[in-house]
Amino acid sequence: MNEASISAQNLTRRFGDFTAVDGIDFEVHPGEIFGLLGPNGSGKTTTIRMTLGLLSPTAGSVRVLGIDSARRPEQIRPHVGYMSQRFSLYNDLTVLQNLRFYARAYGLANQELAMRTSQALEMSGLRGRESALTRELSGGWRQRLALSAAILHRPEVVFLDEPTAGVDPISRREFWDLLYQLVAENMTVFVTTHYMDEAEHCHRLAFIQRGRIRATGSPESIKQETLRGRVFEIAPDDPVRAVQLLRQAAGEGRMPLAEVELYGERVHVVSTDPRLGEGALRAELEAAGIGSGPIAAIPPSLEDVFIASMKS
Amino acid sequence: MIARIASLVVKEFIHLRRDWWLPAFMLLGGALELLLIGWATSRPITNLPLMVYDQDQSAASRALIVSLENTGTFDLLRQAPNLDAIQAAMERGEINAALVIPPDFSAQILSQGGRPALPVMLNGAESVSARAALQAVEGVAGALNERIVVRRLGIDEEAFRGFTPGLRVWFNENLKESYYTTPAELGLMLEFTVLLFAALSFSRERELGTLEQLLVMPFSSLEIIIGKSIPVILIGFFDFLLMLGMVHFVFDVPVRGSLALLLVLALGYLMVELGKGLVISVVSRTQHQAFLLVMMIGMTDFMFTGYAAPVESMPRAIQLLANLVPAHHWLNILRGVMLKGAGLDVLWPSLLALAVLGVLIGGFSLAFVRRALN
Amino acid sequence: MSLRRIRAVARKEIHHIFRDRSTLFLVLFTPTLLLLLMAYALTVDLQDIPIAVLDLDRSEASRRFAAQITAGNDLTLYAQVESPAEIEALLVRGEIKAALIIHPNFSADLLALRGIPLQIIIDGTEPESGGFAVQHVGRRAEAFVTESLAGQLQAAGVPPEALQAVDLRVRTWYNPSLKPRNDLIPGLLSMILGFPALSVALTLAHEREHGTMEQLMATPIGRWELLLGKMVPYILVGLINTIVIPLLAMAWFRIPFNGSFPLFFGLSAIFLFAILSMGIIIGVFMRTQAAALALSFLLIFFPGFFLTGIFFPIAAMPEIVRLESLFLPGTHYAIITRGIFLPGIGLDVLWPYAVMLFFLGLVFTGVAALFFRKKLA
Repeated sequence: MNEASISAQNLTRRFGDFTAVDGIDFEVHPGEIFGLLGPNGSGKTTTIRMTLGLLSPTAGSVRVLGIDSARRPEQIRPHVGYMSQRFSLYNDLTVLQNLRFYARAYGLANQELAMRTSQALEMSGLRGRESALTRELSGGWRQRLALSAAILHRPEVVFLDEPTAGVDPISRREFWDLLYQLVAENMTVFVTTHYMDEAEHCHRLAFIQRGRIRATGSPESIKQETLRGRVFEIAPDDPVRAVQLLRQAAGEGRMPLAEVELYGERVHVVSTDPRLGEGALRAELEAAGIGSGPIAAIPPSLEDVFIASMKS
Repeated sequence: MIARIASLVVKEFIHLRRDWWLPAFMLLGGALELLLIGWATSRPITNLPLMVYDQDQSAASRALIVSLENTGTFDLLRQAPNLDAIQAAMERGEINAALVIPPDFSAQILSQGGRPALPVMLNGAESVSARAALQAVEGVAGALNERIVVRRLGIDEEAFRGFTPGLRVWFNENLKESYYTTPAELGLMLEFTVLLFAALSFSRERELGTLEQLLVMPFSSLEIIIGKSIPVILIGFFDFLLMLGMVHFVFDVPVRGSLALLLVLALGYLMVELGKGLVISVVSRTQHQAFLLVMMIGMTDFMFTGYAAPVESMPRAIQLLANLVPAHHWLNILRGVMLKGAGLDVLWPSLLALAVLGVLIGGFSLAFVRRALN
Repeated sequence: MSLRRIRAVARKEIHHIFRDRSTLFLVLFTPTLLLLLMAYALTVDLQDIPIAVLDLDRSEASRRFAAQITAGNDLTLYAQVESPAEIEALLVRGEIKAALIIHPNFSADLLALRGIPLQIIIDGTEPESGGFAVQHVGRRAEAFVTESLAGQLQAAGVPPEALQAVDLRVRTWYNPSLKPRNDLIPGLLSMILGFPALSVALTLAHEREHGTMEQLMATPIGRWELLLGKMVPYILVGLINTIVIPLLAMAWFRIPFNGSFPLFFGLSAIFLFAILSMGIIIGVFMRTQAAALALSFLLIFFPGFFLTGIFFPIAAMPEIVRLESLFLPGTHYAIITRGIFLPGIGLDVLWPYAVMLFFLGLVFTGVAALFFRKKLA
């Protein structure tokens, strides 16, 4: 437990003039679910590819299980599993053919192969549908099958690149249950996502944006450290006009608001300045003739943090 | 409708731009390839390695060897020391022909009533070269024969020449090889280009799962077909212009008939091939299948373009089949307009056949593709 | 390199091929169909060439001559025409490939030993048929002259054979009748057996296009293992056809096979390795199947057809093309197949070509493996 499963130092990747990953450092500890959270195009996939040795870094280095990914990727491969962003199983093969192929690719044979594929079928809940074509499975089943295939060989670390993109909420919940099961079996999970609610499930997070890590820590500590402002919930008489008004105020620079969003009958406001209080909001609304109703400071969600950070 | 079709066409071209390899290779690569192939194959058959076993070693035998070399068909590899050397070289495929000049060769020529023998061995394992060699050897032997007979009988050369038929070649007076190889090569490459593009149009979207998306958008199936077809036709036509220019300016093949007619008919031909390609495209579930079908159909068609063997020499059943192949009629038209200066008055049967096939294939493909899309 | 992992990849490829009946059918039977097509249409003996005859003499001799010319299978009398204009029309329309004009004084000149006034017009756009007609008419004319003039020549004190002083004795080895089919079919085997190279190029591009390549690269499967594993199923398909196709050619088309079959089989396996390696290179460099296909046609298919000496002898090609053809596996394989089928030669002669094929295969696969890693990045 002393040595980190993954550690990156000054990891950088440039594509021409564009810097996809800009000198990031992070560590993933054994047995944890580490999430790399960030919007699309923030450098998550590039980071995961460099970590796996599929892409060489322009500068810096990353080690997995103590092995340098750029220098000896082939030594890492047997110990890690990977589920890439696009669905990566063969659509025209059956469930069993896919599982067997990956099992053999990782050197499993005979009884071990039979046992592991059987476990994988069990885990993905696809027992009885072994000979179904993979293309005929729905999104949730496919994700579970892909995960089962990625961990067939009991890797020490498994990398999941946006594993639940496009999957319904129930399937996502079940998918995360599987991940906790893996961690309980001492696997280390490295997952990228742009879903805030999902990120809250991780033990630790790194929040990446435009190739840089903005914050690292548990979801709780990120929220506290990153968001310097506060989040308010307002219930005005005329929420639609209130939103227009506040956005206008933010747009003109009169109020330090990162986000003004309508949630049903209520308005969420994320401020970037901790000095901004309820009074200023109330004054702004009532100056325009809108009854402000109750205004309450609420605990920020990761999404609020995320958006505030993107706007700053 | 026009606006929707235009949006489809733009989408197709965006695909192509992202994957610029495809049109670039098919167009520029295809034209360059035609240049290379035309350059390599549009020439008389020359430099065939020859071995001579000269047992006579006389002035007459040396003159014979020189006249063989002067045909240009042969490249004297070396003199053979014996018959075994010829046998060995022939077996190794080192030579295409060998000539044995017997010890009494010059003596036979000089004696009245003598018959100088000329044993020639040809390597039948390469029949194309062997036939060229045979022709050259017959020519040289004929010339020698003429000199001997004229001298012996004391008749004049003109009279003797009268016994060989006079030859006139039409449409290709200098028998330039490029006149007959390059149009067929152009035809083959054009057909494969159009068939491939058309065949991949739907099979690709189906395989990648984007076809469903296209089908739920507010396009009618006819609009989708037209939208898919326009880029194929544009690329095919541009390809044709490029290759026609190359055949004309690089290989000096004339366009004796009306260029406008040729272009219009080319467009028509491309539409027929497009129809075939679209049918392949919708019956194939994967691009791999589409490729295999293109391969089969394209090769079948190529057989009937007269590149390697005239259609007239094929078995009857296959000749009938040839009439069903658009490329067969298209090559008639292409050769007719370019080399024979033929117009519609002459080409109408080919045109009619192409039109009938076009209506049949086009109608079938339209109905078939529409049904497959719905 | 692990044999087990190569087998895993190969097995997966076989699943892909077997998944779809029509793909399986096409992959397995395209070679057979290509053979049938080529044998029936591409490699026929010249015969039944349609010609027109314009007989301006209308004598008994000229009619007999015209009848002799078109007797047999070689030339077919398409039309007996009345004027040169008709010949022109028929030639332009492509209905005849050659025309024979018998001049008005044919029989008179012939009998007076003044020569044989004949003219042949051929269609220069398809000179093969025309040239064939010229040769044929020339030979028949010669025979006709000797035969009809035997009496006159005897009377003039000239023995008939005196007109033919040179005794040209042509012997064609290995293929005495010079049947094009006998050497073109063995030559075309490189096209027939080698076409799965295009499929291999496609399957590699397929992995990229569908995003499965990245997943593959994250497994312990090495570059060489992946590339070889991809080749194996198509080598197997090729080897099945290596047995089926020659048997079919021999049994159905009566192509002679004078060499050793095990040798043919072994060298074909090396050829398959070389030609599939070409497909591998293309598959490694192209990101989409469409692009891989386009490039395969340009680099494998068209050159394999035109530049490997099957139809047009390499000796007659320009220097640069001759050099290029050395890098095409089909060039060496055509020499091997023709050598084994017809003269029936052995490894003592063929080994340099086998070595060259193996070398090409290694170089192509090596280059593919070398660039493979970089291309993923």
